[in-house]
Amino acid sequence: MPRIPIIMPQLGESIAEATIVRLPFSVGAEVAADQEIIEVETNKATMGVTTPCRGTLLELKVEIGKTYAVGTVLGYVEVSEEEAKRLGVGEATVESGPLKMDAGPSPTSSVTPVVHGLPVPAHAAGIAYMSPRMKARMNELGLQQADLAGIAGSGAGGRVTIEDLEEFLYRLDEHKQSPASSMRVAVADAMRRSWTRPLATVGRPVRLDALLAHRKASAAKSGPALYALRALAIALGENSAPAGRLVGGKIVHPKAIDVGFAVEAEDGVLVPVLRNADTIPLAELLPRYDELVELARLRRLPVSAQGGSIATVTNFGTFGLTWATPIPLPEQTLVLGLGAGSVVPSWDKGKSQFVPVTEAHVTLSFDHRVLDGGAAGRLLRRIVELLQEPEKL
Amino acid sequence: MPITYLEAIREAQAKLLADDPRVFIYGQDVGNFGGAFKATKGLAKEFPGRVLDSPISEDAQVGLAIGAAIEGMRPIVEMQFADFSTCGLNQIINHAATMFWRTNVKCPITVRLPSGGTAGAGPFHSQSMEALYAHYPGLIVLNPATVEDAYSMLIAAVHIDDPVIFCEHKYLYYHLKAESLPTEALPIGKARVARPGRDATIVTYSAMLHEALACAEELAQDGWQIEVVDLRSVKPLDTDTILGSVARTGRLLVVGEAFPWGGVTAEVVARVATEGFGLLDAPPMRLNAKDTPVPYHPNLWGTHRPTARAICGAMRELLHA
Repeated sequence: MPRIPIIMPQLGESIAEATIVRLPFSVGAEVAADQEIIEVETNKATMGVTTPCRGTLLELKVEIGKTYAVGTVLGYVEVSEEEAKRLGVGEATVESGPLKMDAGPSPTSSVTPVVHGLPVPAHAAGIAYMSPRMKARMNELGLQQADLAGIAGSGAGGRVTIEDLEEFLYRLDEHKQSPASSMRVAVADAMRRSWTRPLATVGRPVRLDALLAHRKASAAKSGPALYALRALAIALGENSAPAGRLVGGKIVHPKAIDVGFAVEAEDGVLVPVLRNADTIPLAELLPRYDELVELARLRRLPVSAQGGSIATVTNFGTFGLTWATPIPLPEQTLVLGLGAGSVVPSWDKGKSQFVPVTEAHVTLSFDHRVLDGGAAGRLLRRIVELLQEPEKL
Repeated sequence: MPITYLEAIREAQAKLLADDPRVFIYGQDVGNFGGAFKATKGLAKEFPGRVLDSPISEDAQVGLAIGAAIEGMRPIVEMQFADFSTCGLNQIINHAATMFWRTNVKCPITVRLPSGGTAGAGPFHSQSMEALYAHYPGLIVLNPATVEDAYSMLIAAVHIDDPVIFCEHKYLYYHLKAESLPTEALPIGKARVARPGRDATIVTYSAMLHEALACAEELAQDGWQIEVVDLRSVKPLDTDTILGSVARTGRLLVVGEAFPWGGVTAEVVARVATEGFGLLDAPPMRLNAKDTPVPYHPNLWGTHRPTARAICGAMRELLHA
């Protein structure tokens, strides 16, 4: 009776071998055509090796747990003569003449697999992977990757798929939506771009008593923000490296000490700029400062007064905040923050008692690629020194 | 009564010989012997003087056909195996393909190539040559995958005024059957969506169509709806239908039985990447035969060309990419 070899089939393009996990039939069992008689496991999936035809399972040459190459003879099925003829097993194709396909053992059991394991696909998926189709759809809708932060991806490696995106957008329609102002979108874009850098913040207290006394004694009253701006400008005038920008392997130094200050405008923030603030004393800066604040509030800031600043000062103390970690503008490395002041007890060594002082926190948020804590700390210390000697500003 | 792919080709030739006195068939053993595969069985008797035996020289066969064509005839050249057509390569690509461009004289020859592999056929009886001929301007290259297309596309091929390379698949000759011959057909140059789907597209042609359809059936059990596109003509290539399919699914696998380098699959992927980049959800994939000559031993041959199983493996990778 003819016997047909059961050969390990090609189970996938990069699969060269498979491991036997189950043998549901034993030798002598009657099997039908296309019956799964050996269950194998590859790197990708569990699959079945099927009988080519109906017959009796004659021999199993494999063991559970062992791995065999594609093309290996795994066993034999004994078939009737009619079945063998029906299959055309051993018959030649017309043009090449009679071909005697020997139904005996083939030499393939000595084939050694070349590929071991699954090669990492070149298109290895991950959370950040965006297919061209995704990008095209996002472009269509004016979306950024940051807008997708709230979507849990269901694709390979946590990838956000096009289905995830469409589902997310569909659900959004269940909420009330109002258009974001162009100011809001502009600030969102700036903050998103700035956040691509590793940012850090350091802070320390500053005694405001000298500053408040100086202000009281002055004819024209500058706000604390302007004092801070001037202190920052002088400190940067002495050493501008902390305000440099990192581009590739170079530190790009500032051309002039132009310092901006944050002004809350409708639905967003504007940053007017005082040019060459290191060279202009406080009293002379004040009229220009007041003018710019007014123009900013009216959203009538001229182009010459915007952009090109190397650092920003923000006075969040006006909102009652004592501490904050503002985000520098995307083109800047530094933002100096001033918190709300309050009267606190401070230990006076000379008098051996607590005395009341007016104190606030100053914070410096910076691009940690350019500055480390030490340089940031030194800059902040110099600023505090200057703020505590306001006559030098 | 069911009709095989081969019988459809024979019927088409009989119809062509009957309808147009300019048509004649020229090839090795096509006369009384009826052809190596019996594609012209009985035709020499039915149409005396119209089905002629050639010497064993593909160069001479095609040369004679070109001469006859430019004198107003419509020859069908039967190559015994596609692989041997390279002996007539110079006639095909330098004479037939360029004739109209150089001289304004039409060269309406049809060269029939029995293509593709069967077990034990070996490296000179198994090749798929469509990419080679498609490379040359001036040639039309057709690859019918169904009995109906074998019939209607051969008739259309002979009616075309340009030289046509008609790639028939030897495995389909006896294994593919249809209920009856068609009365209408898609035009040459139009691809057919053989199976509509949603999750991914397989673009293929010739015998691989049937492997792809078998794979789509298997994947359907896992809930995947795979769209299968039959190119039908390799040149001209129906880019619109292909892009339309990729627009629906976002994922593409192109399958061909031919060698990988610069094949039809590469051309399809290049077009989709250029013209439909924003449609793709995953890098487009190709599946071809191995980059080795076609093996003789059936066990090696079985792993050389894509099978339904191999296509399924590639598809699972594509669907999870």
